[in-house]
Amino acid sequence: MGVAVTTPDLESAPRRPGPLRVALLPYALISPSLLVIAGILAFPLGMLVWLSLQHYGLRELIQHSGDWVGLGNYQAILADPLFRQVVVRSLLFTFACVGLTIALSTLIALLLLKVRQAVRVIVMSALVFVWATPVIVTVDIWQWMFDYEFGVINYLLTQLHLGNFIHHNWFDSPIQGWSVFVVVVVWGAIPFVTITLFAGLLQVPADVVDSAKVDGAGPLQTFRFVTAPMLKPIFLIVTCLSTIWDFGVFTQIYVMLNQRPSSDYFTIAIYSYRESFGVTQYGLGAAIAVVLVVILIFVTLFYVRETVRVAEIG
Amino acid sequence: MNFRKAWFSVFTIAVALVAACGGTSSSNNSANQSGTLTVWLMSGSAPQSVVDGVNADFKAKYPNITVKVELQQWGDIGTKLDTAYAGSTPPDVVELGNTLVAKYAAAGALEDISGKKSSFDNSGTWLQSLTDSCTVNGKLYCVPYYAGSRAIIYRKDFFDAAGVQPPDSLDGLLTVGKKLMTAHSSDPNFSALYYPGKYWYAALPFVWDFGGNIATQSGSKWTGGLNSSSSQQGLTTLSNIVSQLSKADKSGDEAKQDAAFAQGHIAMIIANGWEVGVITDPKAGDPSLKDKLGAFAIPSHNAGQTAPVFLGGSDLAVAAKSKLQDAANAWVQTFTNQKNMAQMATVGGVIPNNTSQLNLASGLNSVFFNAAKNSRFVPNSQNWANVENANVLPDMLVKIFTKQQDIPTATKAASDRITSILNGGG
Repeated sequence: MGVAVTTPDLESAPRRPGPLRVALLPYALISPSLLVIAGILAFPLGMLVWLSLQHYGLRELIQHSGDWVGLGNYQAILADPLFRQVVVRSLLFTFACVGLTIALSTLIALLLLKVRQAVRVIVMSALVFVWATPVIVTVDIWQWMFDYEFGVINYLLTQLHLGNFIHHNWFDSPIQGWSVFVVVVVWGAIPFVTITLFAGLLQVPADVVDSAKVDGAGPLQTFRFVTAPMLKPIFLIVTCLSTIWDFGVFTQIYVMLNQRPSSDYFTIAIYSYRESFGVTQYGLGAAIAVVLVVILIFVTLFYVRETVRVAEIG
Repeated sequence: MNFRKAWFSVFTIAVALVAACGGTSSSNNSANQSGTLTVWLMSGSAPQSVVDGVNADFKAKYPNITVKVELQQWGDIGTKLDTAYAGSTPPDVVELGNTLVAKYAAAGALEDISGKKSSFDNSGTWLQSLTDSCTVNGKLYCVPYYAGSRAIIYRKDFFDAAGVQPPDSLDGLLTVGKKLMTAHSSDPNFSALYYPGKYWYAALPFVWDFGGNIATQSGSKWTGGLNSSSSQQGLTTLSNIVSQLSKADKSGDEAKQDAAFAQGHIAMIIANGWEVGVITDPKAGDPSLKDKLGAFAIPSHNAGQTAPVFLGGSDLAVAAKSKLQDAANAWVQTFTNQKNMAQMATVGGVIPNNTSQLNLASGLNSVFFNAAKNSRFVPNSQNWANVENANVLPDMLVKIFTKQQDIPTATKAASDRITSILNGGG
C-alpha cells in the first residue's frame, strides 16, 4: 500500500509533493503496522472488554452467546477482598522482581566490561542458554530442585549445616514460597536485561569515562553521573518491559505448584485464569484481566512518558 | 503370524460381525461412514492392549473410520474440556471423571443417550453410583466406564516385623501406626501412613464415617456441611493421624505416592486398587514388593465396621456436536461390552461398570471391589466441578494439616465457599 503512494514520487523527484500528499504519506506508511496491531492486539482486547460485560458460563461458551450484565462483573471483583489482596501482592511481587532484576543485571553487565574475553564468552553463553531454554523446562527443573522429598536445595542446605531442611516444604509459608518465585523469575529475567544493558554499556564512549576518572571521580561516581545517565533510555525500556512481564507472571507459579496453586499464591493472571477456567465464570475472569491491563497501563505510563521525553531530547 | 494368532483374529472378527449384525439399525450403513473418530481417554485408565483390541473390533464394523485415541492428563483436564466443547469439532468420545459429567451435561455439551441405553451391555446392572453420575434431570448423558474405590495398601513385612495386625477401627489404626513409627524410629523418612496434604478423596471417609457430609440438598438449595460437628470430628481424627504417622508433604498431592511407597520408607497408603500395579511396576516402582503387599478397608471409628469410601470412576460420553454420533456410540458399546469390561477388571484391575462382573476380582483386588459396596459420592450438582476446580477441599486440608488455621475456621471457610459455588455463585 505504501509502495503505491510513493512510486510516482520516484519519477518526479525534483518536484515537491503537494501539501495533501505530505499530510497523507506518514499515515499511509504507518497503516500496515497499525492494521497488524489492530488485528493482534486491539481486536482480542476489544473481545475481552466485551466478554467482561457479560455473564459468560460454560453453557454460554458452548452456545457462543452470553447475558449482558453491564458493569456487574467489575462490581463483583471490586467487592471481593481476595481480589484486593491479589492486586497488592502482584504489585509487591513485581516491584521486588523488577528491582532485583535491574540491580543484578546492571552489576553483571558492569562485570562483563571488566573481565577477560574468554570469561565474557562463557558468561554470555550461560546467559543465552538460560534465555533460550523454554520456561516450562526451567520451571520443571526448579520444581525438582525445591522438591519436598527429593530436592537438591534441601539436601545442600542441610549438608552445609544451615539448618535441618529434610522434608522442608518451601511453599508452606507464603513468604518463603514467594521468595522462591522471586528467585525463579529474576533468574529467568536476568539474561535479557543483562545483555541489553551490556550492549548499552559498550556504546558509552571510553573517553568520557576516562576524563571522569582524570577529574577524580571514583567508580561509583562515574557510574552515577556518567554511565547511568547515558544508559537512561535503556534502563527505562528494560524496566518497563520487566514490569509488564513480571506483573503478568503465570507459568512459573502455576507449574511449580502442580497447576493447583492455593489462593495464597494467586497473582492477578492466575486469579483471572482460575475464575475463567476453574469455576467457568469467563465474564468475571475477563473483568479481572481488564483490570490487570488497566493497572499495567498506569504503571507503565510513567516509563513510556519518560522514554518519549528522553527520545525528544536526544 | 502363527496359526493361533490367525485363528484368534478370525475369531474376534467373527465376534465383531455377529455383534454388528445384532446391533442397532445404523449398522447397515456403518461400512459407508468415513472420517476420524477422536477419543479422549485419561492417561492410565485402560491398558493399551484393551484399547487396541477395541479399535480392532471397531475397525471390523466401521472400516472407513479411523479411530484416534488421545491420552489426556488429569491435571488440567477441565480447561481442555471447556475449550474443546466450546469449539465446533470437540472429541467425539470423552472419558469424563464421574464428578465432571453433571457440569458438561447441564451445559449442553453431551449427547442425550437415554433412548440408546439398552444397546450397551450390562446396562441393567450398571453400578448405581456411576449411573447416577450420568443422569442429569432424569436423562442419561453417559455410559459408566469403571469405578475405583480406595482402601489401605500396606507392607505385610513391616507389619510382621512390628508384630501388628491390620486394625479394625480408627483408634486401632493410630495404635498400629504408632507401633510402626517406633519400630522404624531410626529412619527419619519413615511414614506409618503416608498422607499428602491435598489428598481430599482420602479425607472423605473420615468425614462420612462420623456422620458428616460435604453438602446436603433441600429443594434446589445446597448447604455446606463440612463445618458440622460430626464433619469436624472426622477431620480432627484424620489430622491427628496425619500429624503422628505421616512424613508426607502436607501441601503436596497424591500424584507421587506410589513412587514414594516403592522407595521402602512407607508402611501404609490410602490408594486405589490399580495403584498396586504402579507400586510393583518394574520402571516406576519395585517389582520385588509384589508378595509383600496387603490391603484392608479403611476402618470405621466403630470397631469391626468399615468407613464409607468415595466411589471414584469414569464415564464415557459422546459430544452433542459430534458429527459421528452413531460411530461414537458404537465405539463406546464395544469398549464397555462384556468381554472388554472383563479385561478392564482382570488386566486393568479396576472395578467394572456393572455388578454382575464384580466377582472377577481376585487377590488384593477383592478388598477394593468390596470397598465399593460401602461407597458414597460427592454432591451430584452441575456446579460440583467448580468446587473441585476451585481447590476448596485441598486448600482446607492443607490449612488444617499445616496448622495455618484451626479446624473450625478452615471448615467454616470451605463450607461457605461450597454452599456458594453449589448454589451457582463463585
